[in-house]
Amino acid sequence: MVTSLASRLLEALGPDTVRSAPEDLAAYSYDAYSEGYLPTAAVIPHDAREAALAVRIAFECGEPVVPRGAGSGLCGGAIPARGGLVVSMVRMNRILELDVRNRRARVQPGLINLDLSRAIATHGIFYAPDPSSQKVSTIGGNVGTNAGGPHCLSYGTTTNHVLGVEYVDGRGAIHHTSLDDPGYDLTGLLVGSEGTLGLVTAVEVRLLALPESIRVGLASFPDVESASEAVSAIIAAGIVPTALEIMDKLITAAVEAHYHAGFPLDAGAVLLVEIAGPRDDMLAGEAAIARIAKQHGAISWRSADDAAEREALWASRKGAAGALGRIAPNYYIQDACVPRTKLPAVVHEIGRIARDHNLPVGNVFHAGDGNLHPLLCFDSRDPRAARAVVEAGTEILTTCIAMGGTISGEHGIGYEKRDALSLVFDTDDLAAMGRVRDVFDPQRLFNPDKIFPTGAVCGEVRAPAAVA
Amino acid sequence: MTATVEPRVIAPQDAAEAAAALAGCARDGAAIVIVGGSTLQSIGNAPRRCEVALHTRNLRGIREYDPRDMTAGIDAGTTLAEIARVLGGHGQWIPFDAPFPARATVGGTLAAGWAGPRRAVYGRPRDLVLGSTVALTDGTLARAGGMVVKNVTGYDMSKLYVGSLGTLGLIVRANFKTLPRPPARRLAIAPVAGDLRDRTLAAIGGLAIEPTAALVVDGFPRVASYPGATVRLVLLFEGSDAVVERGTRDVRSALGKAGVAETLLLDGDAADLAFAALIDAYVDAPGERTLTYRTTGLPTTAWTRTRAAEALGHEHGLTAESIADLRTGDAILRFSARTIASFAGKIAAFDADVRHAFDRATVLAGAPSLRASIDAWGYEPSTIATMRAIKTHFDPAGILAPGRYVGAI
Repeated sequence: MVTSLASRLLEALGPDTVRSAPEDLAAYSYDAYSEGYLPTAAVIPHDAREAALAVRIAFECGEPVVPRGAGSGLCGGAIPARGGLVVSMVRMNRILELDVRNRRARVQPGLINLDLSRAIATHGIFYAPDPSSQKVSTIGGNVGTNAGGPHCLSYGTTTNHVLGVEYVDGRGAIHHTSLDDPGYDLTGLLVGSEGTLGLVTAVEVRLLALPESIRVGLASFPDVESASEAVSAIIAAGIVPTALEIMDKLITAAVEAHYHAGFPLDAGAVLLVEIAGPRDDMLAGEAAIARIAKQHGAISWRSADDAAEREALWASRKGAAGALGRIAPNYYIQDACVPRTKLPAVVHEIGRIARDHNLPVGNVFHAGDGNLHPLLCFDSRDPRAARAVVEAGTEILTTCIAMGGTISGEHGIGYEKRDALSLVFDTDDLAAMGRVRDVFDPQRLFNPDKIFPTGAVCGEVRAPAAVA
Repeated sequence: MTATVEPRVIAPQDAAEAAAALAGCARDGAAIVIVGGSTLQSIGNAPRRCEVALHTRNLRGIREYDPRDMTAGIDAGTTLAEIARVLGGHGQWIPFDAPFPARATVGGTLAAGWAGPRRAVYGRPRDLVLGSTVALTDGTLARAGGMVVKNVTGYDMSKLYVGSLGTLGLIVRANFKTLPRPPARRLAIAPVAGDLRDRTLAAIGGLAIEPTAALVVDGFPRVASYPGATVRLVLLFEGSDAVVERGTRDVRSALGKAGVAETLLLDGDAADLAFAALIDAYVDAPGERTLTYRTTGLPTTAWTRTRAAEALGHEHGLTAESIADLRTGDAILRFSARTIASFAGKIAAFDADVRHAFDRATVLAGAPSLRASIDAWGYEPSTIATMRAIKTHFDPAGILAPGRYVGAI
């Protein structure tokens, strides 16, 4: 069977598209979460037709199909947990259609997120979802995990910006979904399904007009708790900034050493606030936010006056995780979400959990959304520390659930959290999801061992990864 | 409804009772139609049979609402007006943008997949749903999502139930993201005269302050009226006082340059009321002699579609009224005849012509006798086989509003 998949793919698609030598396949065995198994084969299709053919052949051989964008996913969504076929979308990276007046684009899934906004900026429009990985992550991967990003506070996540998709089913048939069509919202189901329902080969996205003006302000606070209180107060005042991001002292220090954007190093936490919209609202909005920040104990406030300063602050924020390499050999980034008002309490608990496990922790989070990203620092050569990271990560998740939150705000469930999913949902909840899986993928060959709990912990894939 | 006997009415007291009722009906093979405020029951086909009418009136209440978190868990039978009142007390809202909010329920609005003109700015109601609890025909209650604004935990099942018209299960509760209500609202109404038409529409293309909604209304004389004008441009501005003020100033100036006469302005509550009346008109079917279609498509073609509709109406001796949504691409087309009999005589031929003229036209409202003789959906999307399989997996007994949905699902 193993030889039959590779040989059939080679016969159908040729050596330029198909990889089957072990040394070539190693590149498709891992993602930013972990190393997985070697796939049996990989294909790098040029178009949907080639992708569909590859899927059909894999299914005929009874082999799993694992879609792969940039491999930047943090939960193991792109690892071939049961071998099979990896479909890499790197060549399918074009904008197929751009309709400026109607603010829509049809793009291939391998298009890098930031490349889309860059390509269309001259038309005064942009693609709103902006995960921190946007320089490398692809639209297709973003669709798979319903990716968020700092700016989804006001713009929403990927699902709010996808108008339709083209996907391939297990028979290799190509389907089109559209929010303009009547019937069940298959588009909404496919977004966030992490490649378990079909292979997405094109995405129709909604584009927004660039705001007339953007202001970024930076407040520093004595601690994360007071910064979090300020966030709740800003929102409670009826102001919805486009982004409200908090970094604690550890992260700020790492980022400042790397990017020199001028973050205060004496503060316990910094709050990055962006507002965008008509210029008429900017001054009043900024003044209100600065006032609220000060009422909640802000030590300092400064406005980024020009685009360069603003971009420097944002580059630092989006590079926060990477900058941690200065502090520890490895880090493990957790993703969880709680109601916004629970932020101070949950941050306090995360500190306690990290101390209990003797792990340094940095907090960088989308505070406006209640979306936390604690980064646990460790050395992967120390097996005790690696175990502690896993335990602490699980404790953080259960803490968030207890506070009314959930186990993933934007990274997805993937391979990593599939067993944790049963902490959030009971068997009836999961059974309903299972029915959808049965409709789209009765053979369970699309990205198996992802999302759905196994009930048994699989020790074959090492976790967490040695990132950094 | 085509059922010859009156359906048995049930009104479960809570989610568990609702789930048990669905399971009971599945066991007995009794067809169920779920009833909220009955404001959007005209969407879709009349179910093939209906033995039980399940009313959601006892499933009401805003259960979890923390204004600081800007999230709310709301039971199915709660009216949109009540939601507006409670959230409004905290300066917040959920822009459902649906007709007849005093009667319309949140469950019905979601099940109908309603999305009005404001979605251009705030998203569709589906986009504001964070989680849901749904009663299924096997008697289980299935939850999805949660009460947090970002959530990627398993499939986004709420999207499946929203817009499913009660054919997969009963939405008993939905969790929403609430939004701050814009402090200032203003409706600007300008006449669109025949010779100035193109210039008028072009004038609003380049506005720096984009209106929340931009509609061209033709007919519907009772709503958003302008003395002496049959066709008028209706722009809704929402935001801060400063932004609304500048938006109006820019529009007046742009329209003035295009030669358009004075623009009428309505502010605050008056703007809300006038705009709500306009939304009501989408599904209002006066005199049992009208039929209203919604066509979807690109915003740049919405106006053209209304012109095609006018020509089509003329051809069939029908009066056409229309609302072209220049931001979302919807075109609402209402056709009326002098008498129901004269419409009924040509309904089949007329409907065939509508389907021929528009790629995506579905019936939104109209006289029940007219709707009964045509398929409300007009076409089957290419993914219909998948949709049928979903129906079979969620409602194997086929008891939930059989025949109501697209493709006779």
